[in-house]
Amino acid sequence: MPYRRSPILFVVALLIAAACTQPPPSGATSTPPSTGGAASTLVYYADVSDLISLDPAVAYEFSGVLLVHNAYETLVKFEGADLANIKPSLATSWEPKDAGTTWDITFKLKNGVKFASGNPLTADDVVYSLQRVIKLNKSPAFLFTDIAGLKAENIKATDPITVVVSMPKTASPQGFLSILTFTVGGIVDSKEVKAHETAGDSGSAWLLDHSAGSGPYNIDHWTKNSEVLLKANANYGGTKPALSGVLVKHVPEPTNQQFALEKGDADVARNLSPQQITALQGKTGIATTSGNSLLLVYIGMNATFKPLDNVNVREALRTAIDYDGIIKDLLKGNAKKVQGIVPVGLSGANETAPFQADVAKAKALLTTAGQTAITLELLVPTGQAPGGTSWSDLASKLQADWAKIGVTVSIKQTAQADLLTTYRAQKGQLVMILWGPDFPDPDANVGPFTDFAAKSIAFRNAWDDKTIATKGKEAALITDITKRTAAYKEITDYVLHNGPYAVLYQPTELFGLRSNVKGFAWNPMGWLDFASITK
Amino acid sequence: MRFLGFLLRRIVGIAAVMIGVSVITFAISHVIPADPAVAALGDHATDEQIAAFRAEYKLDRPLVEQYVTYANGILHGDLGRSIRTRRAVLDDLADSFPATLELSFTALLVSMLVGIPAGVWSAIYRGRMPDFVVRLLALAGGSIPIFWLGLIVIGLGYYQLGWFPGGGRIDTFVPPPPTRTGLYVVDSLIAGDLDALGSSLLHLVLPALTLGYFSTAVITRMTRSSMLEVLGQDYMRTARAKGLRERVIVLRHALRNALIPTVTIIGLTFGSLLSGAVLTETIFSWPGLGRYATASAVSLDFPAVLGVTLLAAIVYPLANLVVDVVYYWLDPRIQHG
Amino acid sequence: MVRRSPILREPLNIIAIALIAAFAVCALLAPVLAPYDPLAQTLSARLEPPSAAHWLGTDSLGRDIASRLIYGARISLVIGVVVVALAGIFGTFVGLVAGYAGGLADEALMRLTEVFLAFPPLILAMAIAGALGPSLTNAIIAIAAVTWAVYARLARGQLLSLRRREYVEAARSIGVSPARILARHLLPNAIAPLLIQASFDMGAAIIAAAGLSFIGFGAQPPTPEWGVMISEGRNFISTQPWLSLFPGLAILFAVGSFNVLGDGLRDVLDPRLRRAN
Repeated sequence: MPYRRSPILFVVALLIAAACTQPPPSGATSTPPSTGGAASTLVYYADVSDLISLDPAVAYEFSGVLLVHNAYETLVKFEGADLANIKPSLATSWEPKDAGTTWDITFKLKNGVKFASGNPLTADDVVYSLQRVIKLNKSPAFLFTDIAGLKAENIKATDPITVVVSMPKTASPQGFLSILTFTVGGIVDSKEVKAHETAGDSGSAWLLDHSAGSGPYNIDHWTKNSEVLLKANANYGGTKPALSGVLVKHVPEPTNQQFALEKGDADVARNLSPQQITALQGKTGIATTSGNSLLLVYIGMNATFKPLDNVNVREALRTAIDYDGIIKDLLKGNAKKVQGIVPVGLSGANETAPFQADVAKAKALLTTAGQTAITLELLVPTGQAPGGTSWSDLASKLQADWAKIGVTVSIKQTAQADLLTTYRAQKGQLVMILWGPDFPDPDANVGPFTDFAAKSIAFRNAWDDKTIATKGKEAALITDITKRTAAYKEITDYVLHNGPYAVLYQPTELFGLRSNVKGFAWNPMGWLDFASITK
Repeated sequence: MRFLGFLLRRIVGIAAVMIGVSVITFAISHVIPADPAVAALGDHATDEQIAAFRAEYKLDRPLVEQYVTYANGILHGDLGRSIRTRRAVLDDLADSFPATLELSFTALLVSMLVGIPAGVWSAIYRGRMPDFVVRLLALAGGSIPIFWLGLIVIGLGYYQLGWFPGGGRIDTFVPPPPTRTGLYVVDSLIAGDLDALGSSLLHLVLPALTLGYFSTAVITRMTRSSMLEVLGQDYMRTARAKGLRERVIVLRHALRNALIPTVTIIGLTFGSLLSGAVLTETIFSWPGLGRYATASAVSLDFPAVLGVTLLAAIVYPLANLVVDVVYYWLDPRIQHG
Repeated sequence: MVRRSPILREPLNIIAIALIAAFAVCALLAPVLAPYDPLAQTLSARLEPPSAAHWLGTDSLGRDIASRLIYGARISLVIGVVVVALAGIFGTFVGLVAGYAGGLADEALMRLTEVFLAFPPLILAMAIAGALGPSLTNAIIAIAAVTWAVYARLARGQLLSLRRREYVEAARSIGVSPARILARHLLPNAIAPLLIQASFDMGAAIIAAAGLSFIGFGAQPPTPEWGVMISEGRNFISTQPWLSLFPGLAILFAVGSFNVLGDGLRDVLDPRLRRAN
C-alpha cells in the first residue's frame, strides 16, 4: 500500500455516510416518547411483524386488531370472551326492520360519549366512520360491501343520536351486527380525522399511527418494528382502566419472550410454544393461561381430482386419521377436537366429532369405492402450525395414518405464498392449511366452505354443491336464533360426511403471564380488553 | 484536475456495481413462482383485491418496464413501496439502518480493540502458551455459527447471570434520545442524556460481542501474521541494533507496518458484519436492517429486498471512497492509478 | 527420526485431519453408525437428557440426537462439497475465460464478479432462497451463487501471473513441450490458492446453510441438518440446552477442521502466501 489508512478515519467516514443518508427525522421519532413507568404499564411481548396500520378502516391483521380494539368503541360489542350475545356499546338499541326491499337497522346512540379529543360523539361521526371504510376499500372493507352489501349512501344520520343503515335483503342483519363488533366498526372522531386529511385519504395516513377514538386507550406512539404504546384515555366514559399504559413490544423470538417473562421484564408473552408453557408451570412469579381461537386446521381435498371425487374415498381419508393422537401427542392437548366447519365459540358450532382412526372402516369404504391403492400429494406450508407443532410433523403423522389404509401420500412443502397460489388455482390435490373467520358469525365459515360461487374455500377444492350453497345462504338470513342454529346443524352434519374437508383440530392460544397479572380474558376474535387487566 | 479524474472514475465504478447489484436483485426477486400479492394479502383476499394490489404495485407490467420504472425511481430518491409494511422502502430503511450501523460499528470497534492487541501479543509470544490460546480462540471465532453463539451468549449473559439486558436497543422504560444520527450512543452524548447512554451501551454489549467475534478472529490472525513477517525483517534488526528498547521497537515500527494489511481488510470485515447482523439481530431483537431483510425475504417483499441489498452493497464502497478522498487531500503526492 | 510431511508437524493439523476423516466416515456410513432412525419419533421418550440409551439425549419428538447428528454430518458434508464444486468449477471457468480472452470480455466478467462480491453474502443468499422457495437444494444454489465470484478472480489472477512466469520462458527456451510445462509446473502451483479457498469455503458453506435453515430458508424439519436442529432447540435453551448445544458443537468442530486444513494447505502449497508460522 502506498499510504496508510487509519481505521479511525474509516469509522468516521461511515458515520458521515450514515448521517448523510438520514432523511430528516419524522415527528414520531424525534420527540422522546414517555412511558407511564413500570408499575402501571402492562408490558406485552409479541410478534407484531404483521402490523400495518392502526386505522380501523385498514387494520385487518391480528396485531392491528388487538390494538385498534382498545382505542376505539363500536356500536355493539361482545363482552369478554363471549361471541354469542351482542351487547350494547355506543348504541343503546338497534332494531332490524323489514322495509320491503331492504333491512333497515336503526341505531340509537348513547348520550354524552366523548372522544379522546373532547369532541362529543354524534351520529355524524358514526356515518363518517362507516362511510370511510367503504370509501377507502382496504382489506376489511369487503365485510361491509360484500357480506353486508352496504353502500355509502345507505348509511344516514336522521338526528344527532340516530343512525339508520339499510342493507339488501340478501344480506344477514345478524351477520352485520357481528361485523360491527369487529374493529372495522370502530367509530372515529370525524372532526379530528378531517383536520388531518391529506390528499383525500380520509385521514388514513395520520390514523396509521395515531388514534382518534373513544376507547379506554389512545395510541401514544408506534415506533416501527419496535413497539406500540397505549396510554389511558382521560375522556373515556366507562370504568377507567387500572393500568395507565400498555406497551406492546415487538419481540418475535419465543426464547426471548420466555426469558423476559421469567426475568420480569415482560408481563405477558404471547407466542410461547406448548413445551415452553409446560416448562414454565410452577415457576415462581409465572402463571400460564389459555384462550380460545376460532382457527380451524384442516385438509382440503380437490373434489374433481380422481379418486377424491368419490365421496367414499374422502370419507375413508377422514376416518383413517388419528385425531386424538394428533391432539394429545403432537399438540400436547393444546387444541379442541373439532371436525365440523364451524369452530366452537360461535353459535351454530356442531360439536359432533365422529371420526377417530378406524383402519377397518376406512379400508371398507375404499373397497366400496373400488379403490385399493391410491397415491396422492399433500401440499404443506413451512414453519409452525398453530397449536405448537410444525406443519411438517403434522404432515408426517397424517402420512403415517393414511399409509395404514393403503393410501400413499407424498409430502410437498412450500412457502405459504406458493401454497396459496396453487390452492387458489384449484391445482392442489390434498392441501393442509388453516382458516379463521373474518367476523364472529357462523356464516363467516359456512359461506366460504359451502359456496362455490364465493370463490373461497369450496372453490379452491373444486366442490360445487349448489344445494348446500343455497342452504348456507338461506341459513345466514334467518333471524330467529333457534331456527338458525338448527339450520346450521343440518348444514354442518352434511358437510362433515360429504364435503371435501377433513378438519383436524381447533387450536388453543397459550399465554405466559406474570402471576400478578389479572383480568386477562382473550377473545377468540383476537383481542384483549386491556382495560380490564390489573397487575 | 487529477483529483477530479480519480473521483469520477471511482464514482463511475461504484455506479456500475450498483447497477449490476440492482439488476441481479431485481432478476432474483421476479423469478419467484409464488405471487407476491397473495403473499401480502393472504388466503382471505378476493380475486378483485389481488388484481387491485397487482395493479397498484405494477406487478402485471412486463419485467423490463418494471425495472425501468424502478431505476427511474431510484434516481429520484424513491425506492418504491414495501409490499409488507405498505410504507416507502426508503422510510423503512431509514428507520432500520441506524440500528444496524450502530451495532456494526461497535462490533468493529470491539474487533479492533481486542483483535489487534491479541494479534500482537500472539506474535510476540509465538510458539508459546499465549500464542496457542489466541490462535485457538481465533480459530473458534472463524468456525462458530453466529446464531448459536448468540443463543449461548444471551442464555448466559441475560438469563443465567442477569448481567445484561435480553434484547432491544434500550431499556423499556428509558426514553431514547432525540434523533440526530439514529445511533443511540452518539445521540445520548449529544443530548447529554446519561440514562439513555448507559442503557444503550449496556444493550450493545452482548450483540456486539456476538457479532464481533468473527471479525475479531480475522483481525487477530491478520495482525499476527503481518507482525510475524515484520518482526523478522532487516530494518527490525537495524532498529534493534540502534539500541532502542525492544518494546518501543515493537510498538513503533512493527505495529505501524503490520497494521496496513489489517486495515485493508477492515472494509471486507464490515461487509461480513452486515451479513452477520441478519442473524444477530434476530436473536437480540435488534430492530435493524438484518431483521428487516429477513422479514422482507420471508414475505416475498421484493421492493424491500431490493432496497436492503442496494443499501448494503453501497455502504462499503461509499465509505472507502470517502476515506480515499480524505487521504487524497491529506497527501496530494499520492498516485491513484 | 521419521521425516513427517510438514503438514503433520502441527498437532492441530493432525486433529483436524482426524476430525474430517471422522465426519467423512459418519457421512458415508451413517446408516450403519447411527443407533436409531433419525426420523423415528418416540413420543414416550421426549426431551431426555443424555443417557445410556440415548448418548446425546432426545429431542422434543423423542428422536435420538446422536443419530440425527450423524446423518447431519452426511448432509453438511454434501452441502460443503456441492457448494464448493458448483462455485469452484463455475467460478474457475469464468475466471479462466476472462483471463484468456482479455479485453472487453475480461472487463465485463470482472465487473460481474465485483457485483457479486458487493453483496453481503447472507442477504443475497436469503433473497435467492426466498425467491426460489425454502429447501436445502435452493439453499445450496443460493450459497454457491455468493461463493463463485472469488474463484473467478483467483483463477484469472493465477492465469495472468502464470503467463508471465520466468520459468515458463526458461522451460520453453530449453525445449520442454507446453503440455509438460502445464502439467508439471503451472497447474500444481496454479491450483494452490483455489484449493486453499475451497477448504475455507467448505466450512463457510456449512455455516451459511445452517444459518439459512435457522431463519427458515434452507433445509426444513424434519431433516436432521445441524442448523435445523439448532433452530428446533432454540426454545428449549433454558430447560434442555443439549438440543442446540450438540449440533452447534458439531458445526464448530467440522468448520474448525476445514479452517485448520486451509491454513495447513496454505503453509505447504503456497510458499508465496505462507505465513511465518
